[in-house]
Amino acid sequence: MTTTPTRTVPPYRSVLHPARAGFVHLLRAEWTKFWTVRAWLLVLAVAAVVTVVICQLGASGSSVSGGPPIVLGPGGEVVNDAFRLTHRTLTGDGTVTARVTGLKDASGKGLGPWTKAGIIVKSSLKPGSPYAAVMATPGHGVRMQWNFTHDKAGPSSDLTKAPQWLRLKRLGEKLTGYASVDGQNWTRLGEVRLDGLPGTVQVGLFVAAPVHEIVHRSFGGTSEVAGSGQATGTFDHLTFQGKSTDNGWTATDVGAPAPDARPGNSRPGTTTVSPTGTYALTGQGDIAPDENSPDMVQMSFQGVFMGLLFMVALGTLFVTTEYKRGLIRTTFTATPSRLKVLAAKTTVIATITFTTGLIATAIGFTLAQRTLRSNGFKPPEFPDLSLLENPALRAVVGSAVLLSLVAVLALSLGVVLRNSAGTIATVVVLVILPQILSFALPLPVAQWLLRATPAAAFAIQQGVTYYPQVQHNCLPESGCYPLTPYHGLAVLVAYTAAALLLAAWTVRRRDA
Amino acid sequence: MRQLHAEWTKLRTLPSTWWLLAATVALTAAVGAAAVSSLTTRICPSPTACHEDTVKLALTGVQLSQAICLVLGALSIGAEYATGTIRTTLTAMPGRWRVLASKAATLSLLTAVAGALAVLSSLGLAHLILPTTPTNSATLRAAAGSILILVLVTLLGLSLATLLRDTAGAITLGLGILYVVPVLSHLVNSPTWQHRFQRWAPMPAGLSIQATTNLERLAIGPWPGLGVLAAYAVGLLGVGGAWFRLRDA
Repeated sequence: MTTTPTRTVPPYRSVLHPARAGFVHLLRAEWTKFWTVRAWLLVLAVAAVVTVVICQLGASGSSVSGGPPIVLGPGGEVVNDAFRLTHRTLTGDGTVTARVTGLKDASGKGLGPWTKAGIIVKSSLKPGSPYAAVMATPGHGVRMQWNFTHDKAGPSSDLTKAPQWLRLKRLGEKLTGYASVDGQNWTRLGEVRLDGLPGTVQVGLFVAAPVHEIVHRSFGGTSEVAGSGQATGTFDHLTFQGKSTDNGWTATDVGAPAPDARPGNSRPGTTTVSPTGTYALTGQGDIAPDENSPDMVQMSFQGVFMGLLFMVALGTLFVTTEYKRGLIRTTFTATPSRLKVLAAKTTVIATITFTTGLIATAIGFTLAQRTLRSNGFKPPEFPDLSLLENPALRAVVGSAVLLSLVAVLALSLGVVLRNSAGTIATVVVLVILPQILSFALPLPVAQWLLRATPAAAFAIQQGVTYYPQVQHNCLPESGCYPLTPYHGLAVLVAYTAAALLLAAWTVRRRDA
Repeated sequence: MRQLHAEWTKLRTLPSTWWLLAATVALTAAVGAAAVSSLTTRICPSPTACHEDTVKLALTGVQLSQAICLVLGALSIGAEYATGTIRTTLTAMPGRWRVLASKAATLSLLTAVAGALAVLSSLGLAHLILPTTPTNSATLRAAAGSILILVLVTLLGLSLATLLRDTAGAITLGLGILYVVPVLSHLVNSPTWQHRFQRWAPMPAGLSIQATTNLERLAIGPWPGLGVLAAYAVGLLGVGGAWFRLRDA
């Protein structure tokens, strides 16, 4: 006799793994949605190619031919180093003290705020050699500056009201600057170590008057009126302590332009000494980094403007097509948590556009650098830029970040507007129109636009460092952005974050 | 005539058309007013030495509203492709050139009216803010030219969408022409390329119609400049029409 065993049927269980609902699977789902649309992959490829090609086109259109001879500072940067100097040698340790009694305009074109009169210690009379100086300026008070790129603020001073005492002390390689209003109580301005300062150095009084530029801007062009600065600084109570091979003071124009320079461009300086010990130095030039050479980094990224357009389209379509075809309802049925869907979409589009952007900008930059090199942008004025060092690294990665941020901005607005035409137009207008308007609108508005709109992010492509101790007219058409690179990018980050928050809010609130 | 009536009905009954046209008027005037009120004589040595082109400044808004007109033009046929209405349209009116021509005609008329309102209100606001705004033949040229820019950009949108049969693609391409090319024309370092862009690319060239002073500094004259834009718009419309005629819907 056989008994048939009773079979118990197990209840139905889904064979899907519980982790299926996890974020990783959501990412995979969104990634699949992206790469299975052939047109989008094509657009991505076109974006990369167009970016590289336009970078190349921009670079091949730029060329440079021999200008005036350049001067390199101790750090290898291009500098201006021309000034009137009354000097003597100093061997070993020593101190120079003087009182600046006045600083007057000698050219009739106005006194620039960074006109300098003071005491300098310089390793030699060769332009570009290391130095440290204390000085009084009409617009920025007392300063201590060294090796062109360094600047330290001291007490404020007004030479038209009261004279200013200055002192520079040398101890080995160490230089200390002091300032005083009465010659009795001294405040220390700062101490600096100039490595490799020779035993015998040049010390003395100097006057430098940088070119004072006034910009006029109207439609059709910008005109710059350059007042070729010349200033007269007067000093008294000059005392020198230390060993010197010279018996008295000698006057020189350091970095005087070559005799074949354009006439009218430069006038020789003068030094007069009165019997009462008043020194009057008249000179022009500047001791500061030169910011007028073209920005070789920025020139290599013109294709990013075009690549951006495609990234905006991709970011928008990635969400608006779902709304158009109704796929969004399937998506939300599969994953009811809408914020998770938004997060997954954002992650996928950001990763894809960043990677593509990085490849495009890296290749575009490298090729453009090579073209620029053959167009006359050669060391030492234009040193080789390594892709793995700032500012090139910052500009390459920053441009890729810019592209992906713009795509995320488009995606977020796409969620809010649910319409491709409106979203694409809005984002492109928001990012690129301020740039165009900044070329034509009056300068204050133009600079405001480049601070307050997403166009500020293009500052990340700047390779030139703008030093605060150089008066500089930031003109948008010469590629200058009023914000520093990272602050500029932060503006776009803020816009993107705001758009994402708005998208998160609307996607939860509304029906799909 | 029937085609025109049909296209007019299609355009009229879409709420987006009226929104876009209203935005064209409002944004042109708003941006123009903002630009004009930003003008200060502080940056000039003296008010009389300030050679700002106030008419051009007042019409700055056109550079924003051209994007709206592009969208309007692209949507008028792109939306038909997206929803499939184009097949109904072509069944009812098999003459494809006629369909495209009546679309272009109704769009041009609507944009011209909206553009005229936009330009007039911009200039009116500028006149309120800056009493010295000149009114002469150059102003008239700039005003008429700005209306034509908006009409031509709408046609550009229509022709791009006809060519690509897709709104998003047409708008992306159109925005590239309207905005990216002008940016490149400013930032390219080579003067030769700058000059080429300003003469032969539709957008910097078309905008030269807005200039009323310093005409000798323009890369291309006002009317020839607008002619370049017109050549692109009409040429692309011709190519678009030919494709439209040859392809299946």
